[in-house]
Amino acid sequence: MSRHWLLLAPAGAFLAAALALFVIDAVDRDTTNPTVLSAVATAGGVVAAVASAVLLLSNAVATPAELFGGQLVVDGMSLIFTFIFGSVTALVSLASLDYTRGLPFRAEYYLLVTLAATGMSLMASANSLAVVFVALELSSLPSYALVAYLKHNRGSVEAALKYFLVGALSSSILLYGISLVYAATGSLLFADVASAAGEAAATYPGVLGVGILLVLGGVAFKTASVPFHFWAPAAYEGAPAPVAAFLSSASKAAGFVVAFRVFVVAFPIDAVANPSTYAVDWVLAFTVLAVLTMTVGNFAAATQEEVKRMLAYSSIGHAGYVLIGLAALTGVGGVDAESTALGASMLHLLVYGFMNTGAFLFIALGEYWELGRTFEAYNGLAEDAPVACLAMTVFMFSLAGLPVGGGFLSKYFLVVGAVGAGVWWLGAVLAVNSALSLFYYSRVVKAMWIQPPAEDREIDGYPPALYAAIVTAALVTVLLLPGLAVFDGAAFDAAAGLL
Amino acid sequence: MVTVAGIYAYAPAIAALPLASFLVALFAGRWLPKEGALAGILATGGSLVLSAVTLVELVLTGEGYDERLYTFVAPAETFDLGFGVLIDPLSAAMLVIVSLIAFLVHVFSLGYMNDEGEPGLPRYYAGLGLFSFSMLAFVFASNLLMAFVFFELVGLCSWLLIGHWYREAAPPSAAKKAFLVTRFGDYFFLVGLVGVLATFGTARFAGEGGFPAGPTPVSALIHAATMVAAGVFLLARMYGFYALLPTVLAIIAFTGGFTALFAASMAVVKDEIKQVLAYSTISQYGYMMLALGAGGYVAAFFHLTTHAVFKALLFLGAGSVIIAMHHEEDMWLMGGLKEEMRVTYLTFVAGSLALAGIFPFAGFWSKDEVLFETLVHGLGANPLLLGGYLLGLSAVFVTGFYTLRMVMLTFHGDPRTDAAADPHGVGWNVKFPLAVLGVLATVGGYLNPAPLAKLTGAEVDFLHRYLDGPASEELLTSAHHYGDLTHEWAGYTAGSVAGGETATMLGGAGLSLALALAGAGTAFVLYRGPDPDRHTEALGDLRTVLVSNYYQDEYQVWLAEGLTLRTAIAADTFDQGVIDGAVDAVSSVSLFSGDRLRRLQTGVVTNYAALIALSVLLGLAAFAVVGGWL
Repeated sequence: MSRHWLLLAPAGAFLAAALALFVIDAVDRDTTNPTVLSAVATAGGVVAAVASAVLLLSNAVATPAELFGGQLVVDGMSLIFTFIFGSVTALVSLASLDYTRGLPFRAEYYLLVTLAATGMSLMASANSLAVVFVALELSSLPSYALVAYLKHNRGSVEAALKYFLVGALSSSILLYGISLVYAATGSLLFADVASAAGEAAATYPGVLGVGILLVLGGVAFKTASVPFHFWAPAAYEGAPAPVAAFLSSASKAAGFVVAFRVFVVAFPIDAVANPSTYAVDWVLAFTVLAVLTMTVGNFAAATQEEVKRMLAYSSIGHAGYVLIGLAALTGVGGVDAESTALGASMLHLLVYGFMNTGAFLFIALGEYWELGRTFEAYNGLAEDAPVACLAMTVFMFSLAGLPVGGGFLSKYFLVVGAVGAGVWWLGAVLAVNSALSLFYYSRVVKAMWIQPPAEDREIDGYPPALYAAIVTAALVTVLLLPGLAVFDGAAFDAAAGLL
Repeated sequence: MVTVAGIYAYAPAIAALPLASFLVALFAGRWLPKEGALAGILATGGSLVLSAVTLVELVLTGEGYDERLYTFVAPAETFDLGFGVLIDPLSAAMLVIVSLIAFLVHVFSLGYMNDEGEPGLPRYYAGLGLFSFSMLAFVFASNLLMAFVFFELVGLCSWLLIGHWYREAAPPSAAKKAFLVTRFGDYFFLVGLVGVLATFGTARFAGEGGFPAGPTPVSALIHAATMVAAGVFLLARMYGFYALLPTVLAIIAFTGGFTALFAASMAVVKDEIKQVLAYSTISQYGYMMLALGAGGYVAAFFHLTTHAVFKALLFLGAGSVIIAMHHEEDMWLMGGLKEEMRVTYLTFVAGSLALAGIFPFAGFWSKDEVLFETLVHGLGANPLLLGGYLLGLSAVFVTGFYTLRMVMLTFHGDPRTDAAADPHGVGWNVKFPLAVLGVLATVGGYLNPAPLAKLTGAEVDFLHRYLDGPASEELLTSAHHYGDLTHEWAGYTAGSVAGGETATMLGGAGLSLALALAGAGTAFVLYRGPDPDRHTEALGDLRTVLVSNYYQDEYQVWLAEGLTLRTAIAADTFDQGVIDGAVDAVSSVSLFSGDRLRRLQTGVVTNYAALIALSVLLGLAAFAVVGGWL
């Protein structure tokens, strides 16, 4: 009995954690022990990740399971992404225990995190445009509030307002796109949209084409792809660092899972970009987006003076790498090459979920110690905090694609997929950008290990939960170098199942 | 396709064993007895046994091996890229040579590094292991891409090893020089690789520089077995490509002859024993290039083989002397060592006579065959080859001279310093490698005594028969296949002076032997006696030129400062102005609102929204035009 509501266990775990937090907060508002709150949220994430991994590796969804009349679907891809969301949520909730110590509204903080994660896991399973929109809002609205969590901090509030306004604009663009697609195809379910797409492209190429492009714009906002990325550096910089980790890793991945499913399933490229029924060549659009995103993200990151802002831009650059998975669906290399590219995108998001989260949590540690924002603020930190600095070194080098962590392999698969799909030059752009990224990632490493320390720095204590989260993320990042073998088959199968 | 014979399945292990020793030395070396040396000796010993077995298998069955291990890009797609193992007579023989020398160098290092209490031993043995691994994998590489990858690794290892004593002044600088010079060459390698890929769609097969600053066993490994030899080996490996290009071949030959003389002349005036050997190595590679360019594929490989043996012997002998002299390398501070260091002396003399090309040592046979091939093909109406021949012939005299000068200064006469009067003894781990190589340097020439074969008609030219055997036939890498190619495409034919082929051969051999003896004799006369003079002073200005290596370093400095730096400054201007301008433009577009934020708080979100709306409209317009909705 595989078509069972238990398949939604990952989303259920998040929801259960959110409800539990709600009850705890309602019952005992003033004396709530922060450890309990953090533990509940962390447990929710861990249960979601474990449930996803078990379902994924036990082959429970060898064929995709549709639920609620086809509104939701659980397949390999949705489980890979719920695994990512679960891991990131667990790491962020664990680290937040130390970060939010002494701040008000802690229960609300964890509540918002778990609710956003619920939205994200629904995005991973969304099988109709209506669910996509609702789930996207469910994940976005808590995110806005989370960015504004430090509500007496001007930067935090300002960032949240900007994020909210740009988000509202993007949501309206998405919604308009959805309405146009519905007008052209007469359905919101992906399968029905796909079967009607060919005819719609022949009859109303303009309506369908504008609709698809506007949907693409809405998705590009969530993935922080250029030119819809303007909110990201500001939001990541103003938000509390654990929230920035959550947004740049999990929220971005959620945007991508929607992009993968909507474009590959609902808008088959054969139907909408066929010479006889031509509406819009979205592969071309993603190619442009990928090149722009990689280049702008990395070049902008290279010129930053503040570490957190550098990470924000590098996170944009990584969205560009992941976009190669969609840009490689050219039909040249056949299903093998395409599933390699698309699967590599998923793998990259998986590895990224750990290494980028870890990097932002390290920034959270820096904020906890009130070190300052610039590269110089981290000078000689390795003397005071060697373990954390070692972990940060792993994150930086793995993000750059050196073979110290899983980031090397996922980039390698991306290049292989791009070459196989006949867009080898996208692989070359990736390589050039990675080389550039090594420059600015090394600046952090150099500051920590080589530069002499600032004289009057005082490290007040080593926050255990934050450390545990950072070390876990570093360990997983390293282990994913050999361990990606566990997931690569699943990811390639999930991609092949989609294509 | 060649069938898979049982033993060949283990061929990858030949390279994998030193890789294992690299890992062991790197991670566990600190806690092991001898700090990783034993692991290295075991691993390279295993490689030696395996490659010897492989060689025997090849000779007995006459079948080669060509197996793909890993595919990057499948043959059906645009390019055919992968890793594989190619065992043919050339690579099988080279595997034995490389693993033999790597093994002996590991043993020797016990005496040179461990007994001397040098620091950083695990790092040293890890470097040696990685070097051996890369070199062996380079040798059995089945295509250019793989060869390139491992060639790069070899370059990296040589940088690590030459710079081993990184706290001193000279080694890091020498390491950097070696690294930069080889990278410069690799750049062209990469260009060539891409060119071959673009032309053939696959890179399957069918340098100059002296770096005398590393630990001496490293010099031996780098010079004799391996890295510089890698260049010649690569030429031999790619001979099928070159044989199609007559002009290139003749130029290679002439350059080879020129290099032989040019480098030999620099070796004449050097005072440090390792420097003499370093320049001598370059000179000997000149001979190999000469042979390859002149269509003497077998001769080139023959000389590569004998040279690998006797030059490793000379470097290890020099290392032994340096141990004895408490790490003093200047030959003018030595002298009279022959009484105290019997084994080193005898083996060093054997190696020197081989290097000088004196009958009947190994170098005589191989150098003679190189010159003979060049002469007959030159007489077949190819003046460029004749020019190369004359240069090579003159280098024989110079080689004889500097070789004997080195022997006389080091071992003969009276001790010139206290250290030389009372040398520090060396152990079995130094003597054993020397003895093995000494015997090989003496008798190695009988691997392919072509003149004997021609004179007596006996089938003793083993190497020629081996390289022409059935194993290479199937893989299209046999000697006579290359002979056909050079004849057909480059128009190489054999000619002779009056008296026919035999007379030409005997005349050539006699001439080169006479020149070698004359060179050696001159050195002997000049430097004999208890206290020899510095005769090279008499060369005057010429000596200054030679000591300064023909101002090559000055030229390189000019190249770096005058040319490269200026180009770099121009590029920097371009970069600052145009590229950075573009970069700044890109980032300022994205940072525009950020800047506005600081001055004008309210403007920012409007800007974001405007930019987003604008790009959506732009995208819509572009796709509307492409899609023809309008």
